Amino acid sequence: MNPKRFLIALLLGGALAAGVFVALKSSTPAEPRFATVLPAGGDLPEFSLLDQHGAPVNADSFRGQWDLVFFGFTHCPDICPTTLQTLANVRRELVASEADVVPRIVLVSVDPERDTPEILGRYVGYFGPDNLGITGDLEQLKRLTSGLGIYFEKVNIVEEDYGVDHSAAVLVVDPDGKFVALFSAPHSVGNYLHDLPIIAARN
Amino acid sequence: MRNFLLSSLMLLALVACAAESGPPLVASNVVVTEPLPGRMMSAAYLTLTNNSDDAIRINRVSSPDFGAVELHESLLEDGVAKMRPVDALVIAPGSSVTLQQGGLHLMLMRKKTDAGSVSLNFYEDTTLLLGLEAQVSRRSE
Repeated sequence: MNPKRFLIALLLGGALAAGVFVALKSSTPAEPRFATVLPAGGDLPEFSLLDQHGAPVNADSFRGQWDLVFFGFTHCPDICPTTLQTLANVRRELVASEADVVPRIVLVSVDPERDTPEILGRYVGYFGPDNLGITGDLEQLKRLTSGLGIYFEKVNIVEEDYGVDHSAAVLVVDPDGKFVALFSAPHSVGNYLHDLPIIAARN
Repeated sequence: MRNFLLSSLMLLALVACAAESGPPLVASNVVVTEPLPGRMMSAAYLTLTNNSDDAIRINRVSSPDFGAVELHESLLEDGVAKMRPVDALVIAPGSSVTLQQGGLHLMLMRKKTDAGSVSLNFYEDTTLLLGLEAQVSRRSE
């Protein structure tokens, strides 16, 4: 090999190495693209509610696994089942790809007046056997929602019938029971599949 | 060749005539989701196309399979999911309106049967505009 060729090969090799280095460096700290991450993570407020079997649920119930928490109600025919179906599909995809983190799906009822544990249990069970449904006392529910910045309000009250406006975000709670991120609506499976592993890896 | 052209033109004219005399209101992509366990309500989604020369107004939908059917719209305002009743759907001549998840939908309330299909009738006041029968389907993405 003549010196000129050697120099070119050296330069090319160097450029390649630099390229690989830059690519590696920039790909390591991946950022979530869709979720809003809370840098410090927030503790859940103190509250006491019931799960779908009537057993007590409090902030400690969120320790030990990743949770995706949605607020809705069973008399909601469109947004709530659509969101729960999206989350169920996220879970199914994560299980199928043998992902490290497969979150539990949690529905907190913002209509505890009508959503008894039994009614809520059948509803969340439709979207998967491991899902958690939370309902109970309205004042306790308000402690949880106001502590998390979740809004809900009864609307369109006509005789016995009414709807409930509610925040459409899905909260991500880590295994230490800390609220670490949130996904805003509209929800799509791809957003979760992209961001959840990144959020989990940061913890 | 000239004959072929002529007959093609005639065929086209025939097709155009057939389209003209077809039903004024046509439903497509009809999806009726099954009620969730323990729930007496569900939702229906579809596209409605106005093939007539006049605007079509739908202000009442009924079903023999449900106690009531209401036209609703899901809205997302400042991160809050809301659902509001809609008085009427007005479809301009030659255009379509799509009822879909997260938007306009029919809310089917007080289920009467567990039948695998649902009849839906669309009215302006008391005039029946369209009747259809749709299979109930499981939810999926």
